[in-house]
Amino acid sequence: MATEDESVDQLRQASGTRLRELKGQLFEAALLGATLVGIVSLLILFGYIAFDTFQPLTASAQWYLLYFGTLVAPTAAFTWYARRDPAVRAVNAKAFAVVFGGLAVSLVTYVVADSVSPYDVLIYLLFGAIPPLLVGVYGRTTDERTYTGPAIPVAAVLGLGVAALLYGLVRPVVGIAARWIAYFGITTLPVAGIIGFVVARRWSPRHGVMATAAVLLSALLVAGGLLGVGTDPSFWVVLFSTFVVPVGYVVGSTVGTNSEGRIGVLGPFVLIGGVLAGATLERQLAIKGLESYLTPTLLLESWHGRVASEAGVYPQLVGSIVVVGFMAILAFPIGISAAVYLEEYAPKSGWGSRFATLLEVNISNLAGVPSVVYGLLGLALFRRTLGFGTGIVVSAAGTLGLLILPIVVVSAQEAIRAVPDSLREASYGMGASRWQTLRNVVFPEAVPSILTGTILALARAIGETAPLVMIAVATTTYTPPEGLFSSATALPLQIYAARSSALPEFRHGVVPAAAIVLLALMLVMNATAVIVRNRYERDT
Amino acid sequence: MTRESARLSDLVSRRKFILTSGAVGAAGLAGCTSGSEQGDAGSDGGDGGDGGDGGDGGDGGDGGDGGSGDDSTVDRASLSGDVRISGSSTVYPVAEEVSRLWNEEYGDGVGFNITPDGSGGGFENVFIPGDSDVNNASRPIKDEELQRCRDNGIEPVEFFVAQDALTVVVNNDADWLDEITLEDLGEIWSPDTAPEMWSDVNSDWPDEPFDLYGPASTSGTYDYFIEAVIGETESDQPIRSDFEGTEEDNLIAQGVSGNEYAFGYLPFAYYTNNPDSVKALSLVEGGNDPVEPSLEGAQSGNYPLARPLFFYANMNKLQEKTHLQEFICFYVNEADEDYIASDIGYVPSSDQMVEDNLANLEAGIAGDYEFSR
Repeated sequence: MATEDESVDQLRQASGTRLRELKGQLFEAALLGATLVGIVSLLILFGYIAFDTFQPLTASAQWYLLYFGTLVAPTAAFTWYARRDPAVRAVNAKAFAVVFGGLAVSLVTYVVADSVSPYDVLIYLLFGAIPPLLVGVYGRTTDERTYTGPAIPVAAVLGLGVAALLYGLVRPVVGIAARWIAYFGITTLPVAGIIGFVVARRWSPRHGVMATAAVLLSALLVAGGLLGVGTDPSFWVVLFSTFVVPVGYVVGSTVGTNSEGRIGVLGPFVLIGGVLAGATLERQLAIKGLESYLTPTLLLESWHGRVASEAGVYPQLVGSIVVVGFMAILAFPIGISAAVYLEEYAPKSGWGSRFATLLEVNISNLAGVPSVVYGLLGLALFRRTLGFGTGIVVSAAGTLGLLILPIVVVSAQEAIRAVPDSLREASYGMGASRWQTLRNVVFPEAVPSILTGTILALARAIGETAPLVMIAVATTTYTPPEGLFSSATALPLQIYAARSSALPEFRHGVVPAAAIVLLALMLVMNATAVIVRNRYERDT
Repeated sequence: MTRESARLSDLVSRRKFILTSGAVGAAGLAGCTSGSEQGDAGSDGGDGGDGGDGGDGGDGGDGGDGGSGDDSTVDRASLSGDVRISGSSTVYPVAEEVSRLWNEEYGDGVGFNITPDGSGGGFENVFIPGDSDVNNASRPIKDEELQRCRDNGIEPVEFFVAQDALTVVVNNDADWLDEITLEDLGEIWSPDTAPEMWSDVNSDWPDEPFDLYGPASTSGTYDYFIEAVIGETESDQPIRSDFEGTEEDNLIAQGVSGNEYAFGYLPFAYYTNNPDSVKALSLVEGGNDPVEPSLEGAQSGNYPLARPLFFYANMNKLQEKTHLQEFICFYVNEADEDYIASDIGYVPSSDQMVEDNLANLEAGIAGDYEFSR
């Protein structure tokens, strides 16, 4: 009977094992299902939006063939080639980052400066940047480091204050200069300085001075040439300084020094060349392309409520960038300071620690407060209490700043907390003070994660609609904001208003196209976060 | 006379009352065109014109009918400043279009900030605190809002923009129904009767349950429908509660197109731009012939369901800002143009209404306007 018992036992064991296995498999399948449900439904949603935006059925087969030949096939082939060699891959990624980063920076700089007046930007930039630079140079030449460190931010703030005081006197004087000279001051001077600094550090100070002079001279040549032809060189000066110069520097230095991976710099140019070649051929051969609503008109014109093909969101787009940019200036220093205090300085015992814990709990809870409530807060604070105008840039940026402040604090806290204590203790062991430890050990470690968290907070703010509706930010306007106290506008508001249009081509054409623009703006920010993080992580 | 057109003509006669009782004489009909002919000085005269219209209005009488708004001699391209327009999202497309035309014609010296925050929301949050120059409204200003405006020292100057016709719609397959009487319409929607089946209202109709769609209670269309169709009710709610209420017109159309026995109402502006999705019914009032929903019908007063749309200007700002005077002049002169009908789907103002508006504008600039019903 023993054998029978044994075999029954084995059977039991075997079926038990099988059941266990089955349970495991079922659990895995359930997890996969949960993942797919979310992702697939999002994909379907975005598929709908993309379909409405690009209207893929309107293009002819030749159009698809054309772009496959000029754009998709070469880019795919190049990417496949670049992927095989790590050196080429790294250079390729760097080239993409500098080309599209430079393009984004030059476009944003130009549109923002153009809407708020380049002269104002120049005045505040000069007054804000020159005093700290002087202090810094003084510190370097005399090796006097005790006071210059703290003096740099103080000098910047003082400079800005002086600029605000003297604005009335300085503005007419600066206004005599042509517009392009103002743009030259805003973009070419800093870029030339940075290039000179980088070159000086990498090669020699003499090379640095030469590089600076070369950038300044060539920008002047571009401007002079365009003036000779009779075009306003403003935009081209900006594009040259913030796009051509950095790309030229990166391409030139890579080709010169990195013989293994140099072929990788071609990546972005294959892509851009493919688009340009496709567009040229499309026009030459009169091929029927996409009847998409995502057109230059949408990006460069102002709103048109009746004809969908003429509707544009330029003022709203610039408004969103201006509001979110100013919001970042307001919220990031405050948020990061709060995080540093709570993590590094807040008392760890006694009543002080209880108070700090209470603060932390409240901040975490504030991160989850609905955005409409922040809208009410903004209305009460900026309009009713401080008496600012309705829907101006300061109110909008302040309201959104309050909204993302808790998110910034929490993410910066996480980043600082993630720095291992052993590093701090080692620093203290070397006799470093708390501030020195923070500056030289904790910050360099934490910066990538802090930046990632804060840029993601920016991306959240740019899509916010409800708080802006609450503080009555303008939906339709025909000029972008002209300054901090002029009325603001934002892209999500126009999307929200246009979706209730009676005309179907707005609901199914312009609204999804504008939504894609907003998404693209957000993706650019997320990409910046990823690039910044990767770069810092590699360096440390 | 229909109830609504009676109401409208009532409004007109009220305006006439204001006209005659106000300090502004008949010459005021030329409105802003007269003030404009004085050039900048004339407009400035309007600013300080607390002493009535003075000579300005008088010698401006030859300004013509102001039909196009282009006969102003103020150099509108050289004006600068802001115009802030809040209020109804129904009037928003008109404000958007008129401001765009101004911008196209006279450049961006005058900046516009337009927000669609609803008639009540615009009054409450922006106009009554004195932040906006103009508030759009898809209904006349309420007594309570008027009182609060005056408490803040703001006199709202009323202007008539256009009319929005209501369209009663059924499913495209509902071939047994082409017209409906106002009485039946009221019976279907009234909370007192609230019929379950189509056959409960009319025995010729099928023995199928109703599936009702309409605007949500926050909408001006809803307020108007209750007032014009249902009227007073015995129960404590203004309309039966078992219908799908939504802020989105296209959801109403979608709902109705999804069920053969569905029934709903929506703004004509939506229907005229999306005519294939649902079938519009002709309305029968009293013993008259059925009237199809059309802008002509609404303009002539034959179509019974059309509601007036307004905008209200802050009189203090009107007196201060030359560019606001010029813009409103442009606005009321544009309000009788055809694109309001063909592209937006509203009934444009009649010539009479344009004249009344110009008279209100003149009185507002002079500081003599007083709102009354």
